[in-house]
Amino acid sequence: MTVTAASSTVTLDPRRNVPGTRPGFGSTLHAEWIKFWTVRSTTWSAVMLFVLGAGLTALICATNAEWLASSEADESPGSFVTFGMTFAQITAIVLGTLTVTAEYGTGMIRATLAATPRRGAVLAAKALVLTGTLFVLGTVTAFAGYFAGNWFLDREGVGLALTDDGVLRALFGSGLYMAGLGLLAAAVGLLVRHTAAAVSGVLALVFVVGNMAFLLPGAWGEWTAKLMPGNAGSPIAAPVSFNPELMAPWPGFAVFTAEVVVLLTVGWLVFSRRDA
Amino acid sequence: MIDVAHLTKQYGAKTAVDGVSFTVAPGRVTGFLGPNGAGKSTTMRMVLGLDRPTAGHVTVNGRAYRDSPAPLREVGALLEAKALHPGRSARDHLRWLAASNRIPVARVDEVLGVVGLDAVAGTRVGKFSLGMGQRLGIAVALLGDPPVVVLDEPVNGLDPEGIRWVRTLARQLAAEGRTVFVSSHLMSEMALTADHLVVIGRGRILADCSMPDFIAEHAASFVRVRTPQTGPVTDLLRGAGAEVTPVDDELHVQGLDAAAVGELVGDKGLYLHELTLVRSSLEDAFMTLTASSVEYSARTGTDLAGAPR
Repeated sequence: MTVTAASSTVTLDPRRNVPGTRPGFGSTLHAEWIKFWTVRSTTWSAVMLFVLGAGLTALICATNAEWLASSEADESPGSFVTFGMTFAQITAIVLGTLTVTAEYGTGMIRATLAATPRRGAVLAAKALVLTGTLFVLGTVTAFAGYFAGNWFLDREGVGLALTDDGVLRALFGSGLYMAGLGLLAAAVGLLVRHTAAAVSGVLALVFVVGNMAFLLPGAWGEWTAKLMPGNAGSPIAAPVSFNPELMAPWPGFAVFTAEVVVLLTVGWLVFSRRDA
Repeated sequence: MIDVAHLTKQYGAKTAVDGVSFTVAPGRVTGFLGPNGAGKSTTMRMVLGLDRPTAGHVTVNGRAYRDSPAPLREVGALLEAKALHPGRSARDHLRWLAASNRIPVARVDEVLGVVGLDAVAGTRVGKFSLGMGQRLGIAVALLGDPPVVVLDEPVNGLDPEGIRWVRTLARQLAAEGRTVFVSSHLMSEMALTADHLVVIGRGRILADCSMPDFIAEHAASFVRVRTPQTGPVTDLLRGAGAEVTPVDDELHVQGLDAAAVGELVGDKGLYLHELTLVRSSLEDAFMTLTASSVEYSARTGTDLAGAPR
């Protein structure tokens, strides 16, 4: 008697392991959360964001408290209590970029999309993990910087209470602004898929182009400058802006949010159509 | 079961995959063989829904890959060994994959054990050798205990022991009733692993048959005859309908087997010094089949020293 290959073949139900319903968005979110926190760049960026954000606020308040209390002062202490967040922006941008470009740089995007073919869900999960983390981290950092910096200001009698106009708004606003910047950087990352290009592009847009736009002539130039993402979004993160020409906090943040949404939508459209 | 129907992929003016159709059946190892740049990886990426076909479609277990509720439990794939973040540990890499498809975490350590990486589970994969990366890629493919396994060049970078391990694993997975689809550019490797062959060259299917059929059809064989009486023996064999080609002091005979040649020559009382059945290797057969479809070929015998400076 001979045993043929066909008769010894085991039949296997091709879907024996597959659940009837999709594992759902919670699983995608969980996967992105694990991914986010299992690379060292996240921890480093978070630490740097805190050190720069809280540390520089404390430093600038300590060195300027005496001047702010003097009659020569021509700036408000309200511009100083969240000063460090200006520099914390850099790490928010780096972190936002890396959540997207690190996957393209390593080819891991293929593993991600093979595991979760619904690209919209992948993007939404990434955005949620990123913005959630940056909002909490940005807010905590702003509070820490405020408490440390304000201690020096209080000694000179120019401190701000939490209940003072715009202080709480600026502290939570710092978290919002960091989250928005991270998302902006992630959107640019989706479009260019290259870490160095995305980071330098967004940094240039926020720090260089935004400031240079104020040199443009006329009302047209003035509005172009006001509407630049960094200029529109940053007033929410300070009780009083250094630059009096910027938009008011909430209208400015609304403009900034709209810009992020537009960029992210374009990024999503490209992402959902492109070969991985 | 993987069904590929009239699949075409163009990148600009270049056609990487050109109207390809074939079926990968369960319970056997199907080898996907072709030279570098033939379209193997592109086809596999389209199977997994990563690249969008220009035309045609592909289904896995009867539906498009992206329609599977939990694709990792249905199809396990090794695409590129280095498709992972160098800063993440092997266990963390498997953990997020498991989470995305609700695969129990216990399975992570199980597959790490299966591929022999348990000792380095916590090591960052950037420190892995090519072979270890390849093993982790196979662990990823096995994570969801999938009935369909797709392995793109699984033996790349493996040492002989690793190659033998992949071979045994592929055969074992097929014996368990799974659909196993393995690509390679090495015929010798496929000869030892695959039951069925799909050969691709320049984006087109050149052969789609069982391994024995492939050997019978493409691996030419002839009988080598050595005799001091070349003239009479040649006439005798030609008279019996064989094709005889003199090569140096040998005769290459096709159309008669060794036994028939021996009997004919013996009946006439002629002398034979050698009578051997010669089978050209599968590697040669593959080379002949794909010779015209090699994307990047090196010109051999060119005088490098004479190249312009």
